[in-house]
Amino acid sequence: MLSITDLTVSYGPVEALNGVTISVPRGEVTAVIGANGAGKSTLMRTLAGLVTPAAGQATLDGEIITRKSPEDIVRMGVALVPEGRSTIPELTVEENLRLGGLWRAKADRRTTQSEVFDLFPVLAERQRMRADTLSGGERQQLAIGRALMSNPKCLLLDEPSLGLAPLIVTQILHLVRRLADETRIAVLLVEQNAVTALRMADTGVVLNLGRIVQTGPASAIASDEKLRHAYLGY
Amino acid sequence: MTSLIDYLIGGVSNGAVIALMAIALVLIWRATRVVNFAQVGQAMFTTFVALTVQTMTGSWALALVVAMVAGAILGVIVQFLVLRPMRRADTSGAIIATFGVLIALQAAVGMIWGGDAQAYPQPFDNAGIVAFGRIWPISVYDFVVIGVTILLVVALSLLFTRTSIGLAMRASAFNPEVARLSGVRVSRVLTFGWALAGVVGAVAGVLVAPSSTVSPTTFDILLVFAFTAAVIGGLDSLVGAVALGVFAGLVISLVSGVSNSGNAPVVALVLLALSLITKPDGIFGHHKARAV
Repeated sequence: MLSITDLTVSYGPVEALNGVTISVPRGEVTAVIGANGAGKSTLMRTLAGLVTPAAGQATLDGEIITRKSPEDIVRMGVALVPEGRSTIPELTVEENLRLGGLWRAKADRRTTQSEVFDLFPVLAERQRMRADTLSGGERQQLAIGRALMSNPKCLLLDEPSLGLAPLIVTQILHLVRRLADETRIAVLLVEQNAVTALRMADTGVVLNLGRIVQTGPASAIASDEKLRHAYLGY
Repeated sequence: MTSLIDYLIGGVSNGAVIALMAIALVLIWRATRVVNFAQVGQAMFTTFVALTVQTMTGSWALALVVAMVAGAILGVIVQFLVLRPMRRADTSGAIIATFGVLIALQAAVGMIWGGDAQAYPQPFDNAGIVAFGRIWPISVYDFVVIGVTILLVVALSLLFTRTSIGLAMRASAFNPEVARLSGVRVSRVLTFGWALAGVVGAVAGVLVAPSSTVSPTTFDILLVFAFTAAVIGGLDSLVGAVALGVFAGLVISLVSGVSNSGNAPVVALVLLALSLITKPDGIFGHHKARAV
């Protein structure tokens, strides 16, 4: 389980996150939703070790992950799929995947790779092709596959729907759901696309200007009209 | 016509050395976006180390190996002492710092080994090979130079395409953030890159030394040619560095043959300017615009 407690991040005088507390149990999908600038990406980047928090901490199964380097955090079992171009276009599909578990023993890597290929068969077909020949949806699958290659206990997904067609978004989010159900990974998902995200998540967290305004079952948040109008703009 | 072909044949081994130095520049550029002007200074330093070893032991091969080890160590030292502290500065600051390192290394060599040009012993026969009833403008030593260069290029390409550290290096160069998120210890990979570039530069230095002399500034001209080759090749491309390095060797040989060797750097700079005007990303480059 990933536990985030009172996490506060400031960029100079600006507080990007203020006392954020979230629990992400294994096998569940937690969706953090909110408008642009709510602090969603900051939250993800802090958890992955790219940003150092001013206060608070995060633990994975009791082990503190905050204030560690990204290289160590991924070894501890937290893998981030960052927003946007998070595959390396110059490398082949197979190389992008291999990269994700480069520090692991070869045999373990092989096992995980075949699991990733089971989950994303298209990646197996395109193994030898450069990542920049893939479609947007395939590239997002590759990005998630790369993160899975580290055999994480917790997967952080930053805006996986960005720039994808609605049908592909649904497909990707379904795969994420399946992942949580089948592998018991804890999934923390950040989305601007609140409707789709809440439909497949267990828990919803509404973030506004760096503060949590609501936490609850995803279905309850999706049907809370006031919340939708005030923070999600639909 | 015969003399034209002779000039071209004679330029190949020189081109091989330029290619190696260009590879060293490309290795650092790809990983750090810094053109390491100190590379020739490092190579000159390690060539003096090699000269000392060769004088003491008489073994050319041992001298080469010691120079390679020294090149790796010196590369790491330069990165730790100069480039790491400059990390937060912009890259132009770092590039100027590499000039500083070049000058410091030249001064250090002057103090340790003296400022006079010294002859580097010829390890193999340097006379033109006699075959088919004529003397060819290429010697046994030229073949050694070309052979060692080919070996090193093949070894490097295997390293990059077949090994984990090679993949880590490429990933760190293309996208350091994704590399770190994948668990690659990028700063260690960078250090390895500086060591590797140091090794390649050291080999270039030892290979070129017998054809000229060694002094604190002998290799400066090599920098001009290697830099030109690397930029025209695309700075990002090892293939470009090799191709344009060899091409530069041929051009120098031709220009020196038909006019005089003093014109070669001028021709190189004209080619560099033309390349930057017409193809700023280089022939093998795939990146967007770049300021040089």
